[in-house]
Amino acid sequence: MSAISMEKLSKVYSSGVSALAGLDLEVRDGEFVVLVGPSGCGKTTTLRMVAGLESITSGTVRLGDLVVNDVSPRQRDVAMVFQNYALYPHLTVAENIGFALINKKVPKPDRERRVRSAAAALGLMDLLGRKPGQLSGGQRQRVAMGRAIVREPSVFLMDEPLSNLDAKLRVRMRSEVLRVHKAIGAATLYVTHDQVEAMTMGDRVAVLHDGELQQYATPRELYDRPANLFVAEFIGSPEMNLYEATVTGDELLLGSQRLSLGPARTLLAPYRGRTVIAGIRPEHLELDGGAGAGHAGMATLVADVRVVEELGDEAHVFFSIDATAAGASMLAAAAGEAEAGLLAGATHNGIARTNSRSAVRRGQRVTFRVDTERIHFFDPDTSMAVPRMPR
Amino acid sequence: MSAAAMNSQTRRERRRRERLVERDAAIPVELYGLKRGTVTALTTCCVLFALFTLAPVVWVIINSTKTQSNIFGSFGFWFASPFEFFHTFANLFRDIDGDGTYANWFLNTVLYSLSGGIGATVLAVLGGYGFARFEFRGSKAFFAIIIAGLLVPITLVAVPLYLAYAKVHLINSVWGMILPSMVVPVGLYLMRTYVELSIPRELIDAARIDGASELRIFLRIALPLMVPGLMTVLLLSVAGTWNNYILPLIIFSNNQLFPVTVGMGLWSQHAGNSGDANLYPLLVLGGLVTIVPMIALFALLQRYWRGGLLLGSVAN
Ligand SMILES: Nc1ncnc2c1ncn2[C@@H]1O[C@H](COP(=O)(O)OP(=O)(O)OP(=O)(O)O)[C@@H](O)[C@H]1O
Ligand SMILES: [Mg+2]
Repeated sequence: MSAISMEKLSKVYSSGVSALAGLDLEVRDGEFVVLVGPSGCGKTTTLRMVAGLESITSGTVRLGDLVVNDVSPRQRDVAMVFQNYALYPHLTVAENIGFALINKKVPKPDRERRVRSAAAALGLMDLLGRKPGQLSGGQRQRVAMGRAIVREPSVFLMDEPLSNLDAKLRVRMRSEVLRVHKAIGAATLYVTHDQVEAMTMGDRVAVLHDGELQQYATPRELYDRPANLFVAEFIGSPEMNLYEATVTGDELLLGSQRLSLGPARTLLAPYRGRTVIAGIRPEHLELDGGAGAGHAGMATLVADVRVVEELGDEAHVFFSIDATAAGASMLAAAAGEAEAGLLAGATHNGIARTNSRSAVRRGQRVTFRVDTERIHFFDPDTSMAVPRMPR
Repeated sequence: MSAAAMNSQTRRERRRRERLVERDAAIPVELYGLKRGTVTALTTCCVLFALFTLAPVVWVIINSTKTQSNIFGSFGFWFASPFEFFHTFANLFRDIDGDGTYANWFLNTVLYSLSGGIGATVLAVLGGYGFARFEFRGSKAFFAIIIAGLLVPITLVAVPLYLAYAKVHLINSVWGMILPSMVVPVGLYLMRTYVELSIPRELIDAARIDGASELRIFLRIALPLMVPGLMTVLLLSVAGTWNNYILPLIIFSNNQLFPVTVGMGLWSQHAGNSGDANLYPLLVLGGLVTIVPMIALFALLQRYWRGGLLLGSVAN
């Protein structure tokens, strides 16, 4: 059974802004679903509509079997962690956590026991008497979590709960949040704009863009089979390299370079003689060690190295090839650089992720090996992925 | 050690700590990028202005100890014998000249100010919260009308007010004074602004999700956070009614109902006409006694203007 289901959910604010357009989304019992997308794509709006804090323009929200469009937040049995925590500043940590239980008229001994067990689970025992003003950011975040878990709700909503924490703490809190989720098992809708968070935390991930659902799938699926150009660029770091390419018979023409397609040629048959957008993930570009051609479908790509970024365990090689970049961010960057006349001659249109021990230097010409089966293809007119072969 | 003594000691301890924190929070002027000379000049201006405003108060304090002839005859900023303070003070509670007693008027003023001020504060708090955090049909228009009320001076509506009051029998009625004193548009405007700035929408949303009723949200979440703003409004509205002269002048013809302002106005008229009643010392001391409660009220409530009450509610 599904804990939350949204059907054709739309929101037009009174100012005329359309924040959400026909969202269909379903969260199963006990599932941890991440809602991810760039700023302003309607994530908070979605959560607020599920919580009942925002009126629904059209469509329905169901919690369990019940349509809750007209049910007040008080009666929805939904807990929410707000983007900025929204702790009650004049109440102590214990009072903050226990507030919902008092509202539910839970008897005092029971209430105190539950507050203590929630606090213990989050390591807040020593802080119960403090006010939010006397807490660090991470502690506040945990109080906000405590306020939600103490209620043992059937549905859990979290709006970028980690976005205000520093990088280290964020990583630690990720597993903390998941641990809490496992322990209480409530269906969770978790909002973030951080794709790493989305990929590492979600059972399933819904990618939202401009108020529309782009793809709803497991992290693996999003990575392996992005449904369209937006998802392809959004998921993965560094971003996928996207180029305009022409399909000619069993070869792919990327600028002046020819890549033999191998088995991928069957799925590109309808595009023969036409332009497609080819996407290559930076981690799928391998520096050619001169080990000779591999199996069929292994192609090579010659590129000029512009910049090498050493990260210790790996290196990002910024390169340029003579193909036309098609990714939105790359186009924007190119336009910006051209305008400013910056780094003349050093503009790159691709990134490769390589072993940092490979001695690649700036200005060097290198050959990358790429498995054409791992190249993603998109229709330039619809931006949709060319369906891949079932595996 | 008794509990009370312990309590007072911890309180003293806390005060001391607060003072230290305040001193630490003070930023040396140099860090603001001001020159020493600028600071000196500005400080001098402030001191001069303070002297200018405080001089009349000093004059009142000194002259409240003098006889009528000494008030006019001796140097205004120094004492003169005989010391008449207690004598005059006793006279404040006697009906001199058949006009009524100061004590009576004073109690009237207290009654009008407290009931009007508290009423005004309650209305401002409820209305300000409502306008700040709820949207309802016509809310903008209603608010505009209330703000328009800010711009209408009472002197302008004196005549229609009198006529309207006569119709509904509020002339020479305590309610005629109290009810209009409860209408303080500035207070509502202040409260609305205060709520908008100091109580984030999300705090109220969080309480709604936590299952609190609207009334409980208001009483348990919003109201405690509104206290500093509330105290400002209380002070403003109490002081406004305390000093109100024109409204009681219009609606009261019965000396027994006068507040201090109108009663002393009456004395002041008579003091000019009949020199023998020795009314001037009473006027001076009466003025002094009138401002003491206001000063006390300010001193009492100023501790609520501590910032940072919301600290830690939201990130950043
Ligand atoms: N109260 C409101 N009135 C009018 N427009 C709003 C309101 N709240 C949000 N919007 C608009 O709706 C769109 C979606 O906003 P929303 O807050 O849902 O974005 P978000 O995905 O949560 O973004 P972020 O990651 O920055 O928090 C935005 O264009 C925003 O400007
Ligand atoms: Mg948001």
